Amino acid sequence: MKKWGEVALGVVTSIGGFLEVGSIATSTQAGAEFGYRLAWVLVLGTLSLGFLMEMTGRLAAVSQRTYADLLRERFGYRFFLLPLAAVLVVSFLVLASEIGGVSIALQMATGISFSWWAIPVALLGWALLWRGTFGIVEKGTALLGLVAIVFAVGALKLHPAWPAVGRGLLPSMPRDDRARYWYLAVSILGASISPYLYLFYSAGAIEDGWTIEHLGVNRVTAGLGNLFGGGLAVCSLIAAALVLAPREIRVDRYEQIAMVLASPLGRAGFVLFLATLCITCFGSTLEIVLALAYTMAQGFGWNWSENLKPGKDARFATTYTVLILLAAVPVAIGLNPLTLTNVAMVATAASLPVTVIPLFVLMNDGDILLKHTNGWLSNGALVFIALLSVVLLVAAVPLQLLAGG
Amino acid sequence: MGGVNLAHDVLDAQLVDHRQEKIGRVDALLLELEDGRPPRVATIVIGGAARARRVGPWFVALRRALRWLFRQRAEHVSRIPFDKVRRIGDSIELDVDERSLESEHLEQWLKERVICRIPGAEGEQK
Repeated sequence: MKKWGEVALGVVTSIGGFLEVGSIATSTQAGAEFGYRLAWVLVLGTLSLGFLMEMTGRLAAVSQRTYADLLRERFGYRFFLLPLAAVLVVSFLVLASEIGGVSIALQMATGISFSWWAIPVALLGWALLWRGTFGIVEKGTALLGLVAIVFAVGALKLHPAWPAVGRGLLPSMPRDDRARYWYLAVSILGASISPYLYLFYSAGAIEDGWTIEHLGVNRVTAGLGNLFGGGLAVCSLIAAALVLAPREIRVDRYEQIAMVLASPLGRAGFVLFLATLCITCFGSTLEIVLALAYTMAQGFGWNWSENLKPGKDARFATTYTVLILLAAVPVAIGLNPLTLTNVAMVATAASLPVTVIPLFVLMNDGDILLKHTNGWLSNGALVFIALLSVVLLVAAVPLQLLAGG
Repeated sequence: MGGVNLAHDVLDAQLVDHRQEKIGRVDALLLELEDGRPPRVATIVIGGAARARRVGPWFVALRRALRWLFRQRAEHVSRIPFDKVRRIGDSIELDVDERSLESEHLEQWLKERVICRIPGAEGEQK
């Protein structure tokens, strides 16, 4: 019974974890500029992330080692540096944009410029990491993150034409402005499939003490959680398509995104938008910092656990302390958080091959996974995601130059 | 075929001390060569210098430059005789104490000089 309580929590966690600054920004930009036509990319990103989370969760539950542990153990130190460097760079950018998201929400609520909020937000996040346990970070932010459901309410209240939404869920080619269309597609995929999510998830499986008994819980969490999370991202795209597209508003500042909910829901919509932006970005801030500290600690073999006192894992605690404070700097010096977000999403998309392709080797290793190695469906999905990741690597930079900003 | 595959099961494996504290990974393995005797696996090495050599000369140079920049002279490397190995499994348990290891210098330094000066750092579990 307790296990299914975990499922419920897991599902909630994924909702809280899925909808964050990157998804909100990229899916509303897509809705504003292309109506429902990019909705299929959200479906693709959500499905891919679901598969990756299920696999890294299974890997941890069966082998009692995290994905980062196995990257070092099975591929050696020399190779390990490649995913480590890639994840550090891109997740640092995403981390900065999450802090930017919280700061923008606070600016809109108080009128005090976002750059003043960056350091206090980072300090509050640090204090929570210092004192809080893994359960508090995981479940606390996730439960509060449920406020994101307001995007579903907003979308429904706008009475979308469902057949048109349905057509958007099927892949389509752009009719005009091709570079921008594909640029947003790449950004959406970068926002959905973020390496920190599955690195965090696999470390979380160890923190929560998962074993082979939890494989069912893992599958349901990864599946349902992403279904809900992706569903909410689709809702924000729908709302943007109905509110921003007719007015020909192209999103280049976070303030404009608030209209997406303020238009159908009035003042309550505006307040709930701020709450959603603030809470989901803050939750993601904590998850990214932890994911980076986990990856460092596991790769180098340091003591690590969010449930230990910082004195017991000094290098781990130092890592998250330094990272969260450093990541506040770009926002504190006044870089536009939305620009930061867009660059971070494209960089993430380009970084995927080095964390996706090694997973294929590990998931088919019977020494690690015993009889729980990948079946044809998971392998098919993983090959597809790996190919997709290579396409993203090649396309990301040219598209950023052609159509970014 | 019994036996332990050094490259697969030992190199890069997680090391723990006698109290199960994590003390790094197997960064290098050394063979002992003595005249008239067959070579044998003699030493587990933990430390940044050993890791850097596995990446390549450019990485060793980069590391040296950084150390010069931060005025770091001492190399904090642990060389542990292979007969300290107690158990080889998911991790490798060594009959050593974390606190006495040179490679744990940074951990101890950060703990004493930085982390434990901030309130709420001491103790076991949160």
